[in-house]
Amino acid sequence: MRTTILSRVMTAALAFGVSTAWAADSPKGDPAKGRALYMANGCSYCHGTAGQGGGGRTGGLRIANMGIGLEAFRNQLRHPVNEMPPYVESAMPDQQVADIHAFVSSLPPPPDVKSIPILNK
Amino acid sequence: MSREKDVPNVKRRRFLKGAGLAGAAAIAAPLNAVAQTGAPAPANNPVPLPNKAAETQVPPELEVLTEGKSGSDFMVDCIKSLGFEYMAANPASSFRGLHESLINYGGNKDPEFLTCSHEEISVAMGHGYYKIEGKPLCVFAHGTVGLHHATMALYNAWCDRVPVYVVIGNIMDVQLRRPGIEWNHSAQDPAAVARDFLKWDDNPASLQHFAESAVRAYKIAMTPPTLPVLLVADGALQEDPIPAGMDLRIPKLPRISAPQGDAGAVAETARLLATAENPVLIADHYARTAQGGKLLVELAETLHCPVIDTSGRLNLPSRHPLNQSSRARAHLSQADVVLGLEMTDYWGTINSYRDQIHRTSKPITKPGAKLISLGSGDLYTKSNYQDFQRFADVDMAITGDGESTMPMLIEAVKTHVDAGKKSAFETRGKKFAEMHKADFERARTDATYGWDASPVSTGRLCAEVWNQVKDEDWSMASPTASLSYWPQRLWTMDKPYHFIGDGGGMGIGYCASASVGAALANRKHGRFTVAIQCDGDLLMTIGVLWTAAHHKIPLMFVMHNNRGYHQELMHVQRMANRHMRGLDRAHIGTTLRDPYIDYAKIAQGMGIAAIGPISDPKDLGPALTRAKAIVKGGEPVLVDVVTQGR
Repeated sequence: MRTTILSRVMTAALAFGVSTAWAADSPKGDPAKGRALYMANGCSYCHGTAGQGGGGRTGGLRIANMGIGLEAFRNQLRHPVNEMPPYVESAMPDQQVADIHAFVSSLPPPPDVKSIPILNK
Repeated sequence: MSREKDVPNVKRRRFLKGAGLAGAAAIAAPLNAVAQTGAPAPANNPVPLPNKAAETQVPPELEVLTEGKSGSDFMVDCIKSLGFEYMAANPASSFRGLHESLINYGGNKDPEFLTCSHEEISVAMGHGYYKIEGKPLCVFAHGTVGLHHATMALYNAWCDRVPVYVVIGNIMDVQLRRPGIEWNHSAQDPAAVARDFLKWDDNPASLQHFAESAVRAYKIAMTPPTLPVLLVADGALQEDPIPAGMDLRIPKLPRISAPQGDAGAVAETARLLATAENPVLIADHYARTAQGGKLLVELAETLHCPVIDTSGRLNLPSRHPLNQSSRARAHLSQADVVLGLEMTDYWGTINSYRDQIHRTSKPITKPGAKLISLGSGDLYTKSNYQDFQRFADVDMAITGDGESTMPMLIEAVKTHVDAGKKSAFETRGKKFAEMHKADFERARTDATYGWDASPVSTGRLCAEVWNQVKDEDWSMASPTASLSYWPQRLWTMDKPYHFIGDGGGMGIGYCASASVGAALANRKHGRFTVAIQCDGDLLMTIGVLWTAAHHKIPLMFVMHNNRGYHQELMHVQRMANRHMRGLDRAHIGTTLRDPYIDYAKIAQGMGIAAIGPISDPKDLGPALTRAKAIVKGGEPVLVDVVTQGR
């Protein structure tokens, strides 16, 4: 899992055209701690408990299985692009960001749409 | 409730004599009267106690205290002439004359009395009813206190361009008000509290005046922009006998035609649309009737251009290939001509707005894009409430009803479309059809995320509901914004009653009552009505569950019970994050926990069959199947589902 996360971090960091220095030195995330932090810090309000996201003006993006790199993830928390509320370091230290990122990255893929009959009628 | 001047002299003398006797008896006998009832005498009661002792004696002269027909009978004739099927009300003394005339003289039919536990429910039922039936519901309400209750729903109807026909009671003549409560319930200008969101109101001084204003009010309400109206039914006019020989006449209701846009402006719009590289149509409160949607399809298929349906109504079928609502921003950013149809917030549609510590905005459309508006909103605007939204600096504003102007616009566009253009347009349309297909596939895949989550995801909730209704002649009566618009993304909506928009003013309390009103209208058409009902909204007007049970209005309420005011929770989250204070207290004032509310038990207490609460998504399908059977048996049902926030 760690290898996967790291590879995603690298890919995303390169994709977003940002320095990989922070990513390389970044704390390792703990998905179990991350899950608790995800729920306690209101991430689920907009993104759902399974990271499924919500539509419309106030719903958050789906973040499960999006392959978002750690640095891009952290940047969005610290300096949100759109309407997401900011999470500053004093309220959410980098270690917690890494934990939440690890949790989000650990979310299993959803069932295949073809396996759900009522989505195929 | 006669005024003295209306009382014949003999009768007046008799009345005064009797009053004098009664008054003298009242002074002499209050203690006896109290002793008879056995109740303690209230201290400092400003209202004289009735002289009950006088009831045991024979008065020297007998009063005539009955009448055959009163003004309220004629008022009911006026109301019946307008074709109302229903009149919704919480009973109130200020319209007791109308109430009695409606149920007895009027036979409680056309309109039939709908018993409501709150005036907000009465008006909101009218709101939903209109959007299905296309004609207003009549509402009776107490002057002052009843109208105060009704104002929230009236404001929602106003913002949503829905006509509701309100009649309130009031007693204007000070001589005719009983001491105490009737003074509290009377006003010099009772409509004033709601006038900012009424298109018209009147306080008729005679029965003929009432007749003319009754028809005038209906005509004004139903002429686009369609909006609420109010009439005052004075207590004396209701309760006094109709004077002998009075020649009363109810004017006929004319056929109402909607105003069309200026022909020259329409022709220019057609030219711009037909010669544009990337024309885009936006429709908001455009489709007033079933014809509106068909006409928009015809225009879109003539141009093969994207249509963005902002969900004020169901303007374009959700699965139409040119429905590009999920790509609104992308299409608008490329557009060279944009036509907005009956927009209530044009500016907010063509600009992005960011709610951060510094609120900023920027246009979505590119510089030089031609912006055109077509709508009836400019025909009637008021100043105080700001529902008219930010000013959209369009290049051409065509004032007229969008739907009525559409045939002229389509014909004008067709004159610009030769064979070459038609072929190019079709090629353009195929590209959009592919996009639409991809969007639908993506929506189905997106719905799989959180499929087995508990609380139930809104995607799963809507997929399960769709599975139950899709083979019925169904009607969705509730808004979809808090459901992340899953119904538009997953369901096939192609009839106007498949979706009827939101509450207009976004005052919560709309959904439950409007859904019952919509279900009432759907009942005679044999349609299956479903409402995905938010918990906070239901709590505002929960008495409507009893109304649904009492009047046997079949409707499947499926609770979107996220156990809180989730929108507000997210707002508090935004503030707490901005102030760097953490979220451990964000639930205070925003959530409905400790204890959780058992909506199934509440519904059962109101006489409605209920299932739940359901937290495991695997239980949802079977529960909805059971609920569906109840609705098909002609009864309302509530399924409580504990859901994710959005």
